[in-house]
Amino acid sequence: MATLTLRGVKKTFDKTHVLHGIDLDVPDGAFVVFVGPSGCGKSTLLRLICGLDEVSAGTIAIDGEKVNDVPPARRGIAMVFQSYALYPHMTVAQNMGYALRLAGTPAGEIETRVKAAAGVLRLDALLQRKPRQLSGGQRQRVAIGRAIVREPRIFLFDEPLSNLDAALRVDMRGEIARLKARLGTTMVYVTHDQTEAMTLADMIVVMNGGRVEQVGSPLDLYRRPANRFVAGFIGSPRMNMLPATVAENGTVVLPGSVRSAVGIAARPGERAEIGIRAEHLVLGDPSAGVITGAVTMVEHLGADVFASVAVEGVDAPVIVRLDGDSVVRPGLPVGLTFDPARAHPFDTQGLRADGADAVRSAA
Amino acid sequence: MLDLSAPLARGIFLLVLAVIGLFLFFPIYWLAISALKGNAELYRIDPTFYPHALSWEHFATAFGRGKLLLHLQNSLVVSGSAAALNTALAMYAGYSFAKFRFAGRRPVMLMLLSAQVFPFGLLLISLYPIMSSLGLLDTRPGLVIASIVFALPVSTYMLYSYFSQVPDELIEAARADGAGELRIFHTIVLPVSIPALVTVFLYGFMWSWNDLLYAMTLIVSEDKRTVGPGLLLSYLNETNADWGGAMAASLVASLPVVVAFAILQRWFIQGVTAGAVK
Repeated sequence: MATLTLRGVKKTFDKTHVLHGIDLDVPDGAFVVFVGPSGCGKSTLLRLICGLDEVSAGTIAIDGEKVNDVPPARRGIAMVFQSYALYPHMTVAQNMGYALRLAGTPAGEIETRVKAAAGVLRLDALLQRKPRQLSGGQRQRVAIGRAIVREPRIFLFDEPLSNLDAALRVDMRGEIARLKARLGTTMVYVTHDQTEAMTLADMIVVMNGGRVEQVGSPLDLYRRPANRFVAGFIGSPRMNMLPATVAENGTVVLPGSVRSAVGIAARPGERAEIGIRAEHLVLGDPSAGVITGAVTMVEHLGADVFASVAVEGVDAPVIVRLDGDSVVRPGLPVGLTFDPARAHPFDTQGLRADGADAVRSAA
Repeated sequence: MLDLSAPLARGIFLLVLAVIGLFLFFPIYWLAISALKGNAELYRIDPTFYPHALSWEHFATAFGRGKLLLHLQNSLVVSGSAAALNTALAMYAGYSFAKFRFAGRRPVMLMLLSAQVFPFGLLLISLYPIMSSLGLLDTRPGLVIASIVFALPVSTYMLYSYFSQVPDELIEAARADGAGELRIFHTIVLPVSIPALVTVFLYGFMWSWNDLLYAMTLIVSEDKRTVGPGLLLSYLNETNADWGGAMAASLVASLPVVVAFAILQRWFIQGVTAGAVK
């Protein structure tokens, strides 16, 4: 159990700036997920926390104690690698006990702790096997077991499920969630999969281009994305973005000269974008005063139907979520409406610009 | 692609194989049958392609009158030491090139490889005075050092290539588990590199075992002579050319390498890193 504090953490490789000053407070026992596209610096940040790479500037503290110069093994952390990184010439039991053996733990205690961890992860019958005799899911569990045995203050996971097939990934996701509930240890988890982030995290850190875009609970990020990037990254399908022009009284003009009472804090005449999620759009008949377009593609997912609608003046197709029983066919002319309170207004810089933020920036 | 299921293609394929096989194995066959022929049959003008009368006289000479056993023993000591030293040096050098970044890494690697462009014999000219000034002429340690001079750069490069493929995550996992760099190398990297180490060991062993020029130049005492010069000087010298004895002794001398290959060949094939990552 431990808190993790990052202050102005920067990382530079040669002349390339990978992290531009990260500040973050992870409370004791939290499950934090770093999520972002490839190359956003999330794995680099995890390696810095682990101590595999040195920070270029800033401080990393565990339980308030600066650990910048503390070697990985003495930081009280354990890392689960993306490729599992099991020692191929050692048995499962030896793999799990390696760190304890290095630390000079008595053989009896190593055995007890390995057995306990094996019990938690259902590895009891596999302890004498070599990694090559295990399936992908079993190897993943051994990698997690190797971390558990060390009883670390913080667990680090680097995309641990990315090498598993879809079904196994869902199983292992559940396994990690149960582990978290059982151990209550602080966990930092890196993924590019926003579904994993949404389902596992207490707190999500969305990263992009070496910067933190937003920190918050999964639902916070979903309901109030701080900027255009987070809005597009969190949620599947992606949030629809409609170009707009700011009119008087905080209303906007949408494609097709449609006026909408979306509250936006921007000067009249400025360009803006209105984000609206697929499930908040309502498909209806084309008529005056609503956004109009034509259905181009229909995807049936069983419980839901996703209809892509081509709207003049909008580059990407607008995705609408419908009930699974809906009957829509491509080519159908449709009208789109939405509750303005559900819309997310963004200014020209891509920052959220609704009433609440307007009050804050005015103060 | 050639379709080997067609009878004609299969026939041609087997014929080519047979020609290549004959080319490779006929000298060895000739060596063996010559060793087993009596002198009368061996020196006939029209050669026989198999021994009409088996004779063990040449083996008796080699082990009895000749000093084959002593020479074999010397070779075993020198080649074994050379192979061990070569492997030990190459593994540390190769690992440092593969997994550490330091100033001068690339130039030093280039120099290692460029050492290969010098003819083997040419190097002896500079090696001889060095050995002389170090007092290592006519000593076994001297010959050991001389025989790895050529094998070491190649061995280092071979192990560099192999270690480069050892996943970094494996090393990082060990580092996170609390292992120091030397311990990581000894307990994690070396055990997964056994096939490469065996290959390099055999390479160094063969280089030394088959060496004639260095062994002949740097060793002059009869009691330290290795098997190559031993064979040449005992059987094919100014006064005497005992082909039968030379053949029998050569056959015996080539056995250790063949046996070493037979025992160690499974390591070439086995992929020990299977199951490490992914």
